[in-house]
Amino acid sequence: MSPFFNIIKLDYLQRTRSYAFLITLCASLAIAYSFVPEPNSNYSTIRISGYVGYYNAAWFGYVTAIMTSFFLSLIGFYLINSGLKKDIETKVGQIIASTSISNFKYLLAKTLSNFLILSTIVGVVFIMSIILFVLYNEGYSFELYQFIKPYLLITIPTMFLISVIAVVFEVFLGRFSVLQNIGYFFLFSALITFTPINESQFNYDLFGSKIVIHQLEEMVRELTNTDENSNLSIGYILSDIDSSKKFVFNGMDFSMSFIISRFIWVVLGFIIIAIISPFFHRFNMGNLKSTKKLNNFTENEISSKNINLLKLPKAQINYSILPLIKTEVILLFRKGKKWLWVVNLLGMLLLVVLPFKVSHQIVLPVLWFLQVSRLSDLTAKEITNNLSHFVSTSYKPIGRLLLSQVSAAVVLMLLLAFPLIIRLGLLINFRGMLAIIFGGVIVVMVAVLLGIISKGKKLFEVLFFMITYANINLLSFVDYFGALKHHRSYVIQLAVLGLLLLCASLLIKKNQLDND
Amino acid sequence: MMKLEIQNVSKRYSKNKYGLKDFSITIEKGILGLLGPNGAGKSTLLKMIATVNKPSDGRILLNKNNIIKDPNYMRQQLGFLPQDFGVYPNLNAFEFLEYMAAIKGVGGPNLKPRIKELLEGLNLQEASHRPIGGYSGGMKQRVGIAQVLLNNPKIVIFDEPTVGLDPEERVRFRNLISDLANDCIVILSSHIVSDIGTIADNVAIIKNGSLITHGNQDHIIATVTNKVFEITIKIEELSAFKLQHTIVSTSRKKADIKVRFITENPVERATKMEGNLEDAYLYITKNN
Repeated sequence: MSPFFNIIKLDYLQRTRSYAFLITLCASLAIAYSFVPEPNSNYSTIRISGYVGYYNAAWFGYVTAIMTSFFLSLIGFYLINSGLKKDIETKVGQIIASTSISNFKYLLAKTLSNFLILSTIVGVVFIMSIILFVLYNEGYSFELYQFIKPYLLITIPTMFLISVIAVVFEVFLGRFSVLQNIGYFFLFSALITFTPINESQFNYDLFGSKIVIHQLEEMVRELTNTDENSNLSIGYILSDIDSSKKFVFNGMDFSMSFIISRFIWVVLGFIIIAIISPFFHRFNMGNLKSTKKLNNFTENEISSKNINLLKLPKAQINYSILPLIKTEVILLFRKGKKWLWVVNLLGMLLLVVLPFKVSHQIVLPVLWFLQVSRLSDLTAKEITNNLSHFVSTSYKPIGRLLLSQVSAAVVLMLLLAFPLIIRLGLLINFRGMLAIIFGGVIVVMVAVLLGIISKGKKLFEVLFFMITYANINLLSFVDYFGALKHHRSYVIQLAVLGLLLLCASLLIKKNQLDND
Repeated sequence: MMKLEIQNVSKRYSKNKYGLKDFSITIEKGILGLLGPNGAGKSTLLKMIATVNKPSDGRILLNKNNIIKDPNYMRQQLGFLPQDFGVYPNLNAFEFLEYMAAIKGVGGPNLKPRIKELLEGLNLQEASHRPIGGYSGGMKQRVGIAQVLLNNPKIVIFDEPTVGLDPEERVRFRNLISDLANDCIVILSSHIVSDIGTIADNVAIIKNGSLITHGNQDHIIATVTNKVFEITIKIEELSAFKLQHTIVSTSRKKADIKVRFITENPVERATKMEGNLEDAYLYITKNN
């Protein structure tokens, strides 16, 4: 095997041989299981004006391919956007920089390794879609090409392009992980809203799924004899399945120009990597350290003073968690770039001035999402900064340290939401105030729980991204802060959820410490 | 009087794979030097004493308290410097030590003066208000040493503490350990035999997860009495010589080479030398 392919293979193995990847695969399986609902379930994933397809091979193949393309485009970026960062952290990058490998080859290897990771998940979902077809079989024959065709033309090229985008972001925004996370969020939102006006414009659709959706809409229009725009829903839509009308979807023949366009997209990906190669920092660490505060400190003369143990002031026992909370708050506030606090302040201002509904339903979840790096780092920082041994030997690590981390993060979330809480208070809407407070607790507890389980940051970052995307699309089943539901029982449910997450976090952390 | 008893402790990773096997030792006030090749089980043992990990079998008692059941008893009086540790790069040294003090449950009005004294004594006062992310490896190591001393520990564990320290800092560190040992148990693990040889009262040698020998330095060095020699040979003869004897060190002298070696049988032209801890360590680990 040539050295280039060895790099791809070994990078892929290194990144997939991790607990976090195993969790990602399990989560992908769980999500894939829900792509085509069980015949008696009360939700649908693709629904056009109340119509869903009969459960034949084409419906399974196309629906799962589109859903995979959509979801993996959404979360896949966050799974793979640390390929270069890992090489910086492990200092392997410095060794790579001293070898003869060209920037283009290295970045292409990273892109292909990213692509292999996403393809592995696609492969798992693909197998799951066939299993689901067998499980939910309504008497239709199995046609393998109805599965392969949409995956090959829609999902796989999209995964390659997401891999390219991840490398581009890392090359240009390597130092700004927060900007990467937020930037992609907006890029994805912009790309997904692209609506082709005529047939040739389907070729410009990066995700490649709009053409299928258009075909489904056309079929429903023909059935209903209407020229009006059909009401398409993609995502998890709660509905009574018995009320759904059914139609037969037998797949579609893609035009040659569309097939060529998908190929061109992939070629364009290679060209983009070639174009950005000269801009790659090649692990020039001096250039990477942009922050003044992290500039290396040079020591002057060594002092002659020694530590006299007998004369050291005696420290006293103090088991208060307030000093811990104080430091955790400092760590949260200092995380990320200072100018991002200007964005936070702007967000808080918007919470004051924008109409109440917009503030609550859109601005608050986005403002909280801007803290994603802070929250994901909350419990994972002990591992990423190699401090876990100190934590393990600390006095009552769960009762003191973990609670201080939770408290500090809740303080941050409530501080950001403070203008909205005050507005609700002025409206004497105490239920709304409580819902936001519990929402802040819930999001912190999810970050803590997933950090403890995965011992990393990615799982929470991906999930929080999905939840926030669903929040701003006003999907009520992820309304964790009472923006859409206001009744008393819902607020109580939020409180109970927060408490359950806290208990689960404490128990799992205790179990981890006991079994180390 | 501090007393740490490690009784039949094992750490099993899989059915037949042990990090430590049926390990027993009793440690009292003073410095215990822990020696052993890579993968011998030194760090595994230290992490279990420090309550980071739990043994699969056996008991660890500190002053008759079982620290496996009550780890907080150990943690209240422990100072631990792991082999490989990190810091929060956005905190400065003073803030980091305040944080570590809070983690250990230490505070009060004397905390800040104590941290200041420690930072001065470890030559970090000038850098103490700059983020640790910009520190050199040696400076971070000294921050690690400072955190050990925050809580006036009665049992101190250093795992490879001199990594990254320059020669002068190593001497200061050794003096510090000697001072510490007047009042508490110090367990020191190192690959650098001379670090242990200079300060340890007792030495334990571990190999393949088992205790090979334990005792004071004289007792251990006695195992190589009349077995250490030096000889000057031609460079070309070295390869063949290595096959027959345990080589401790070599030094080149033009076309010749001076070899310090260990052997059971005297060699012609070789001069008998006084053994030291490094000789004994090599001899014991090779023959066990």
